[in-house]
Amino acid sequence: MAAVQDAPVEADNEKEIKTETLNDAAGNHASAAGGVIPSPPVASTSSSGPAKAGGPGSEEQQTLMAVLQFLKKNNFVGAVDVLRREAGILEDSDESQGQELAASALGGAEAGDATCTLSRASSCTTSTPAVAAAPAKGARCAVVCVSAGGEDQPDVNVVLSAYSQQGDPALYQGYYSGLKKFVESVLDCHRAELSQLFYPLFVHMYLELVYNNHETEAKAFFEKFSGDQECYYQDDLRVLSGLTKKEHMKGNETLLDFRTSKFVLRISRDSYQLLKRHLQERQNNQIWNIIQEHLYIDIFDGMPRSKSQIDSMSGSLAGEAKREANKAKVFYGLLKEPEIDVPLDDEDEEGENEEGKPKKKKPKKDSMGSKSKKQDPNAPQQNRIPLPELKDSDKLDKIMYMKEATKRIRLGPESLPSICFYTFLNAYQGLTAVDFTDDSSLIAGGFADSTVRVWSVTPKKLRSVKSAADLNLIDKESDDVLERIMDEKSASESKILYGHSGPVYGVSFSPDRNYLLSCSEDGTVRLWSLQTFTCLVGYKGHNYPVWDTQFSPYGYYFISGGHDRVARLWATDHYQPLRMFAGHLADITCTQFHPNSNYVATGSADRTVRLWDILNGNCVRIFTGHKGPIHSLAFSPNGKYLASGATDGRVLLWDIGHGLMIGELKGHTDTVYSLKFSRDGEILASGSMDNTVRLWDSIKAFDDIETDDFTAATGHIHLPENSQELLLGTYMTKSTPVIHLHFTRRNLLLAAGAYNP
Amino acid sequence: MASPKTLPKDAQVMVQILKDMGINEYEPRVINQMLEFTYRYVTTIIEDAKIYATHAKKSSVDADDIRLAIQCRMDQSFTSPPPRDFLLEVARQKNQTPLPLIKPYTGPRLPPDRYCLTAPNYRLKSLQKKVTTSAGRITVPRLSVGAVSSRPTTPTLGTPSVQSVTTKVSTPVSLTGQRFTVQIPSSQAASAKSATPSTPTVQNVLINQSLIGSKNILITTNMVSQNSASDSSSLKRKHEEDDDYDAL
Repeated sequence: MAAVQDAPVEADNEKEIKTETLNDAAGNHASAAGGVIPSPPVASTSSSGPAKAGGPGSEEQQTLMAVLQFLKKNNFVGAVDVLRREAGILEDSDESQGQELAASALGGAEAGDATCTLSRASSCTTSTPAVAAAPAKGARCAVVCVSAGGEDQPDVNVVLSAYSQQGDPALYQGYYSGLKKFVESVLDCHRAELSQLFYPLFVHMYLELVYNNHETEAKAFFEKFSGDQECYYQDDLRVLSGLTKKEHMKGNETLLDFRTSKFVLRISRDSYQLLKRHLQERQNNQIWNIIQEHLYIDIFDGMPRSKSQIDSMSGSLAGEAKREANKAKVFYGLLKEPEIDVPLDDEDEEGENEEGKPKKKKPKKDSMGSKSKKQDPNAPQQNRIPLPELKDSDKLDKIMYMKEATKRIRLGPESLPSICFYTFLNAYQGLTAVDFTDDSSLIAGGFADSTVRVWSVTPKKLRSVKSAADLNLIDKESDDVLERIMDEKSASESKILYGHSGPVYGVSFSPDRNYLLSCSEDGTVRLWSLQTFTCLVGYKGHNYPVWDTQFSPYGYYFISGGHDRVARLWATDHYQPLRMFAGHLADITCTQFHPNSNYVATGSADRTVRLWDILNGNCVRIFTGHKGPIHSLAFSPNGKYLASGATDGRVLLWDIGHGLMIGELKGHTDTVYSLKFSRDGEILASGSMDNTVRLWDSIKAFDDIETDDFTAATGHIHLPENSQELLLGTYMTKSTPVIHLHFTRRNLLLAAGAYNP
Repeated sequence: MASPKTLPKDAQVMVQILKDMGINEYEPRVINQMLEFTYRYVTTIIEDAKIYATHAKKSSVDADDIRLAIQCRMDQSFTSPPPRDFLLEVARQKNQTPLPLIKPYTGPRLPPDRYCLTAPNYRLKSLQKKVTTSAGRITVPRLSVGAVSSRPTTPTLGTPSVQSVTTKVSTPVSLTGQRFTVQIPSSQAASAKSATPSTPTVQNVLINQSLIGSKNILITTNMVSQNSASDSSSLKRKHEEDDDYDAL
């Protein structure tokens, strides 16, 4: 009996695969009686296969197959015939075409659904003698998969569960060792790619043993093979080692997601051929079943990748990113700055006169804005998402910004920024979040004792607005009304904001300096007014700790991400979120807006960075490569690049347009908690738990991109090992982890952290 | 940290667990906290299991009871976030609605007042005995001649509505020695909104003798204390208006 699993797992309509499977199918079915060529595993169904290829009815079909199976098992022949007649299933293409169903189901259904259908299908095929006897009946092409050793008869319950028994548990070790031997025997160039299989296979086989209550076998399996895995998976393996019973899996959402989502591997065609050939030669190919069920193999044409290339991209909880995931168009350009007339009257002229320069007109009206009149093709439309219009105070801010920008120091490898460090004393390890306003006039600190404190950096003290009774008394027409509304008696260096009931994990100032956001372990995000220093709104939506929050660069929108694996987009005047970004497998630890406010980046504990489109909530980019939870994100000022830092101490640079990794900055020895680009994008500063601030040359890093077609098509990257050249300086603090970095408008670098002796 | 030899066995186990999970640096008090948690959790589970066992009329607690106890406790205290497919479905629905347009500058952009924390969390308590806190109430004095009590101050509570005016001036009775109560209700309350019963505060004013001659007329003002009523009614009004702005 031919053990056939000829439908590879890919769900995309790749023509090459189609032809391949057709060939294989032909070859395999030569041995079967009365061959019916299984339909190619693509959504475009071939006419030969039954209509169940793809389409929404595939799930019911699978159930139907399972029921048929059950009836056959118990020899209800009459019932079987009736059911088959009524369901309109052709005799010669019933569940024996299990794998074809699997493939077709995959072709039509989402990945998540397909796992269930696949498992049902494969469990159908693992049934032993009953189905084997089927070919004897009539002209059925029973392509049977042998399962070594007597197996649990797949009854309907088993079929409908996400995991099914793929083989004798005692033999799992054998299967795995067999695969290991095979991989060791292949050519060097293929070995690296095929070794990618080890980790996902190991985890899935282990989880399957646990789920089916084979505890001792699971433990033995784990002990034997866990040492072989890559070093960067050690944390996951440690979590797994504590998981020995089915009940342990119940509360662990991350693991449950891991079970049901497909682990993506990218393998070159040649290596894949080798693998398939090997697994199909053998009699028992439970590994093939498992591969089909839990892995998604994204095949590409071209050279196999080297170990270093693979290592740089792998490490996330769901494997790498499929190529289609990174193909959507992203508008990474900046929005046009509005035209603002810089006033040529008194204030500017005074400033210039003091410097002794002759008065001259300021031609720099839109020097900060777009130079070209036509639309940047990579920039989103102005009205793609609704943005608040500029108030007069905003326009004044912009003018100030432009003035400051003229005095900005140009940074570069020869002219490094000065760093001013703000140390929080006596915080007793309670400082959990820091933010600066854009003009660097205020600092906010979030603490583990659930308070938020705001300090003034400039000599100007913090004042709150007078009470309503007093406000009635002031002269509303006077010029300095904005000063008069402030209550002088309340002037102080710092203000404390009480309200949260848990440690405050994220703070963010609004661009107009009127509001402060803070998010906390109590699951709420609070909006504070910086004029009255009271809490205005509590946004309740996450019911679990919220790890990070961020205002949009234009104000009004803000984003929050937390333990429930969902990031939410809010507007200050809606008490419910406007968008929900779901897709991560583990907590979202870090959130950041793109400078054009159309996209949001989220970094997560599942070691991926995802870029989401605000307009429709789609995930447009998935970046894998970090080996630890991501704690910091930074967009470059031109919007093209993203930098991310994680607990593995590496800073990775990503090209958003192409969706590729373009640089890796090694140097830190501990978690990178903060990243910031300088105002013009020339320098990237990174601050870490290892008490250092490092400066990197980002212009050079982005110069070295080769974005030829090959790279873009296959996603291969060739990272130059130039971290040392890019490192411009390392600045150590005494014993203060660096939690936050901020470039002032004149390119002075401010850093903040809590002294931790 | 005490050497392992002198630690109690539970603590040693805890140290081992921490080491297995890869945690090598921790404050010494962490072990105590973990042990506390373990003890509390296990006793809670066992107590729950005992209850289930007695409910099932079993003589001793067995594994099923424990399993049930753990499951119930987990659903209650240690909830986990919703599963991924549910989140994806909810997100898909939420993301279908287009982003709402932003109204032009309307002051601070905050949700409706009901969802903000800006409402006063206090209310001024109105004094019902003496002082009226309202200003500008139109009082229409009404005269009623009736039996009066001899006590000078009689706050008449519980007379919700305006007393009917009875002017019984049938016979020019000699009224010397009599006292008359004049009720001066405040008709400000006539604004129909106030549904709350107004508790009249009665103020007794001794009228100048000379005005009425020999009669002692005791004028009582039916001051309806409506501070809270009008305040709450105005607040209610504000709330109702804000409901109109409830866009979502």
